[in-house]
Amino acid sequence: MEDRSDFGAESGSSTSGGAHNTSTRTRFGLDVGTSKVVSAKGDSSKADTGAQLNAFFIVPYSSLHESTLQQSRVNFYREGDELVIYGSDAEKFAHMFNAEVRRPMAKGILNPAEHAATHVLETILGSLIPTARSSGEMLAFSVPAAARETGAELTYHEETIKRYLRDRGYTPLAVNEGLAVVLAELSKENFTGIGISCGGGMCNVAFSFLSIPSLTFSIPHGGDFIDSSVGAVVHEPATRVKAIKEESLDLTRAATDKIDKALHIYYDKLIDMLVEELSRAVTKSQRLPRTDQALPIVLAGGTAKPNGFRDRFEKALHRRALPFQVSEVRLASDPLTATARGALVAALAER
Amino acid sequence: MTATTSISTEQKYRLERDACGREFGTELSRLTGDIEDPVLKLKYLRGAIDHGGEGPVDLVPCAPVRRAWYRMRGLEMLHRIVRSDASASQIVVERVQMARRAARRSLGGVIAGALFLIPALFAGIVINIGGEQEPVQIAETKSASTAAAATSMPEPIDEMAPAQVMAQVAESLPEEELGVVPTTIWMADRGPGWELYSNGLRVETSYTVAGKERSYVVHHRDSGPQRGVHTKPVGIIFHTSESDLWPLEEGYERELRRSSASLLKYLQRVQAYNYLIDRFGRVYRVVEDETRANHAGRGIWARNEDVYLDLNSAFLGVSFESRWEGGRTLPITRAQLIAGRNLTHYLRQRFAIAPEMCVTHGLTSVNAKRKLIGYHLDWARGFPFEAFGLPNLYTQPTPSVALFGFSYDEDFLNTVGEPWPGLLAADRLLATEARERSTTIEEVRRERQSRYQEWSKQAPADASVARESPTPQIADKRG
Repeated sequence: MEDRSDFGAESGSSTSGGAHNTSTRTRFGLDVGTSKVVSAKGDSSKADTGAQLNAFFIVPYSSLHESTLQQSRVNFYREGDELVIYGSDAEKFAHMFNAEVRRPMAKGILNPAEHAATHVLETILGSLIPTARSSGEMLAFSVPAAARETGAELTYHEETIKRYLRDRGYTPLAVNEGLAVVLAELSKENFTGIGISCGGGMCNVAFSFLSIPSLTFSIPHGGDFIDSSVGAVVHEPATRVKAIKEESLDLTRAATDKIDKALHIYYDKLIDMLVEELSRAVTKSQRLPRTDQALPIVLAGGTAKPNGFRDRFEKALHRRALPFQVSEVRLASDPLTATARGALVAALAER
Repeated sequence: MTATTSISTEQKYRLERDACGREFGTELSRLTGDIEDPVLKLKYLRGAIDHGGEGPVDLVPCAPVRRAWYRMRGLEMLHRIVRSDASASQIVVERVQMARRAARRSLGGVIAGALFLIPALFAGIVINIGGEQEPVQIAETKSASTAAAATSMPEPIDEMAPAQVMAQVAESLPEEELGVVPTTIWMADRGPGWELYSNGLRVETSYTVAGKERSYVVHHRDSGPQRGVHTKPVGIIFHTSESDLWPLEEGYERELRRSSASLLKYLQRVQAYNYLIDRFGRVYRVVEDETRANHAGRGIWARNEDVYLDLNSAFLGVSFESRWEGGRTLPITRAQLIAGRNLTHYLRQRFAIAPEMCVTHGLTSVNAKRKLIGYHLDWARGFPFEAFGLPNLYTQPTPSVALFGFSYDEDFLNTVGEPWPGLLAADRLLATEARERSTTIEEVRRERQSRYQEWSKQAPADASVARESPTPQIADKRG
């Protein structure tokens, strides 16, 4: 396959990772997350990544609005008498109107309460990946592990994405989100260890031994849980809490104000839930390898990004007895793109 | 446990499955350690586990046979992957084929060994009775498991992944640990039989003896011997002690202590190294720094324009209590790593040693008569350079090959498993020169070898340098 010059050309997408590669092994990996959709393309040596906020905002249609949006190169489409602004631009408009963005996904899967969910998600995916140049190209995308509450909906979510990708000419491959983190970050450890993706809607965990997922699970709480819980106790919109969290939260420092204090409390709560579930799951599982090897844990995802998250997670881990040794807890080299990069590795391996 | 049963591509990356067995996993990991490209590594692992897994091999009652079989399966899979990869060069495909053939031969040998030689091997086990005797090995170094492991494939990806790194067999350490580090290292305290340095290094001195004075000539890579005689060490050579290794477990304290004490007495008697680091991370000075130990035998190393042929004089010898087995150095302990790093920092500061002059014995050792490298193989692969804050010298063109046209044979490949990247780089240098001069690579080698012959004759006679036998030495008592 030749290199795609059209990748990431859409406005609103950010790219990183260096120059385009003309390798014949270019493939795509997608992290379809509640909060963000991240794509990775490239070959085994280097990946270019792009991202869009997985959100939308609706303004009433008027020709003035439409022309203004066009001039500003904002991602939008018209739906009857509404203009749907999607992707990273949606948040700017939500701030402007002091309102909340709407989400096509909730708790890791398509949001059943949002009628526009499928269309918006497909449009966002389309802004990140072009139509396949040759039919049947492999594209791997992340899916969460089924939580108790989301079994049936997960099938719908996954099939919806697969159908869309097939329509675009790809052969879709679903990769567990936690395993994708392992594939991206634990190559030197022979893909043996625990990958944890802390996203907006949920946290996904995979226990991998030589790339085989021996245990996967998720908890239906993530960054959104923190934002909404903090918002509720401090009487602030969750969007504002999210903005503060992403801009200035430092978990290594003492809380400075009410919002900061609430953020610390709910971060600890999330970490406790995650570690408790990890401890419960590994104790219960019959599939884990019999190994004396100490295992690394890699944390990825936007929720794991604040300074101090890793330390708090490690402390919480030490408070519980686990049936294996942990060699290290580390943050992914780029927590926001780890899942997409891992999916890319799977896509490349499955040519 | 088995990880297999047919599984669709759809489910491959999301369905929970049983992990593969420990033995199978270990054998697969032996090859993956040398694969840098994550995609190739994943293809290989998935291929080996998904297509066949442990299967009937799991039922074989003899562990060495099982291990050899697993290993051969891994190589079969790797061969399939490399053959189907359009970007893999013919050389890589041929090398994997060669390793696969070696694995098949080895499997045959191991099966034969298991059937006919077990009683003989059992009778041959030597028990270390301690005391003042020379340390002896509990198991044959070239055991059945070693033979199986020696089928390690040649590096399959050097042409696919230029930034490849050889696998480390020791635990990794972070480059910099937390805490305040003194800007210089000085002696903080001393007592009868020990010295303490400001970086935490404690040196036990109760076994220390004085060796012969250091005295060596440095050669210029083009013009030969330079004027002046040097008396200070300019580098460090890392060794392994090739001695008994008892299990590092509670209940073996007596054996571990006696084994180390016995080893130290032997090393002191033959003045084998300047330092020994035991498995608990204790650093023993055996031969005084200012004097030479008999650690390097015939060896060649170079940095920039300077070439060193008398490594006993020019280098300090630091040995880790460990040994070469199964195509690699057995993992050293974390305590040894930390102590080794502190010792290296101290020696480098004290003698202003350049990082490129901290090298392993396996990289320098040669059979001068046969013009072959790898006479001694300790740390011929897997030394954790990065953890020591040192450049990875496995990737640097090997001076004995690049400067003096030394070569390697099939025995070397069978034992080491693959040439390290610097060896291939050195070969390429010779090939480039041959091309530029419109001559053959053999001719270039001959010229270089005769230069070595000439330079080494000029070097002062050195009784401490081992007399090599005409056959390559795969295992030796002392690294």
